[in-house]
Amino acid sequence: MTDPYKVLGVSPSATDEEIKEAYRNLAKKYHPDQYSDSPLKDLADEKMKEINEAYDTITAQRKNGGAGRTGQSAYAGGYNHVNGTGGSGFNDVRSYIAAGRIADAEQILNGVPPERRNAEWYFLKGSVLYRRGWLEEAKDHFSRACQMDPGNAEYSAALNQAMNQGTGVYGGYNPRGNMNAGGCNSCDMCSSLICADCCCECMGGDLIPCC
Amino acid sequence: MFGYVRPYKSELLVREYEQYKSVYCELCRELGKSYGWTARFTLSYDCTFYALLSLAVTEAKVTLHQGRCTVNPMKKCSFIESGGEDYKKAAALSVLLTYHKLRDNVADENFWKSLGCRMALPLLSRKARKAAQRYPLLGEAAQQAVEEQKRAEDTGAGVDQCAEPTAVMLSTLFQELGGCDRTLSVPLERFGYFLGRWIYLMDAADDLEDDLQEGAFNPFVSRFGLSDKKELTEEERTGVCEACNQALNATVSQMLPPLNLLTLQNFGSIIENVVEKGIPEMQREILFLHVNRKKREKSWKIKQ
Repeated sequence: MTDPYKVLGVSPSATDEEIKEAYRNLAKKYHPDQYSDSPLKDLADEKMKEINEAYDTITAQRKNGGAGRTGQSAYAGGYNHVNGTGGSGFNDVRSYIAAGRIADAEQILNGVPPERRNAEWYFLKGSVLYRRGWLEEAKDHFSRACQMDPGNAEYSAALNQAMNQGTGVYGGYNPRGNMNAGGCNSCDMCSSLICADCCCECMGGDLIPCC
Repeated sequence: MFGYVRPYKSELLVREYEQYKSVYCELCRELGKSYGWTARFTLSYDCTFYALLSLAVTEAKVTLHQGRCTVNPMKKCSFIESGGEDYKKAAALSVLLTYHKLRDNVADENFWKSLGCRMALPLLSRKARKAAQRYPLLGEAAQQAVEEQKRAEDTGAGVDQCAEPTAVMLSTLFQELGGCDRTLSVPLERFGYFLGRWIYLMDAADDLEDDLQEGAFNPFVSRFGLSDKKELTEEERTGVCEACNQALNATVSQMLPPLNLLTLQNFGSIIENVVEKGIPEMQREILFLHVNRKKREKSWKIKQ
């Protein structure tokens, strides 16, 4: 087996805290939620398993053979937008998408005549486009599905995800979030201190003796 | 189409910046060595990124070498050399992409405007043939991207379809870097797809206003219903930039997961910087600060 410390990218002399931190960062990176709609799912799962095992091994070793970590279930599973079995007329398409057979799913969808294209059709077509990386058309299809069936949680979750990815929170530039965020820089600190000093002086005290 | 993929300088460590510069200089030297000194003008940040990624993925054995800048012998320069094919491939790619870009300009623009391109084209076409001969995969990928692009634009396709050729080209190139190792080639392919898509969309967003004025094709025109407009009001411009930014952000969000799956030893932090900071910064400069192209290039010169 590979060195568990190497897997987590820490030195064997790292403290428990450092190991936990490294594990958490990696778990965030490989979290299955991010890969549920992508062909990278298997790889991400493998990586996740690898770091889980490494973390378990290290904690077990450090506890002198004590019981391993039980928190694994926290990162197992994850969700997938398209359920293999929906109560619908497109079960075959759903199972193809779940199995990653995007071309087959698309072929069936394209064969559906326009008058039979309901909200679910638009949702599934959107899912197919999304997996192919055609993000703009996927978004259009999701929003069409939501218009046709506003109450459906599955469709609105997909649309929400597509919209959220445009905000820049998940990468890219977010015009509303300042890149060098943090409301307090050294200038602010100085001016606040001077203000506080003035206030104190008004009341007869002194915060900064030299001014 | 060039120069969008670059690091965010102020967030690089000094060491990382030196490394980036040395890779850039070595690529310049390789271009001169393989394709003659005129090929040095094709040097770009995008191809530097390709070289960096190649070095990182193949875990190439690199050596640092001190020397003098080949363009300006007064300057001292360091070069990161590699025994492998990394720079040779990046140089071939640089020549090929520039060649196709020039051909595209000659076909699209009027005689006087494209005069410079017309003169440079015969010079470059021999070099491009040589590059395609040495690396058939690169030659074919570039050729195919150009043909598909033309087809998509002629049929007035949507944003996604227009971005597809560039995206597929990069996914092919990146996948090839991973070789037979599935744990590398699969994420690389996906990463390449979205990086290519991002480059195309960024270029389209950058050109949007010029294209509107000239009536040239741009996939965002029909997307935002601007087909009867020549100029945008300030308000419209803000809205359009915001919408372009959203499309770009969605693309970046797909680029990060595959990148996370790659464990890159050398240059990993520079590559992360490019994707996580350089790319957002580029979106900011173009879509929110409206820094024009000339100024951008000037402000970001690699300083020795």
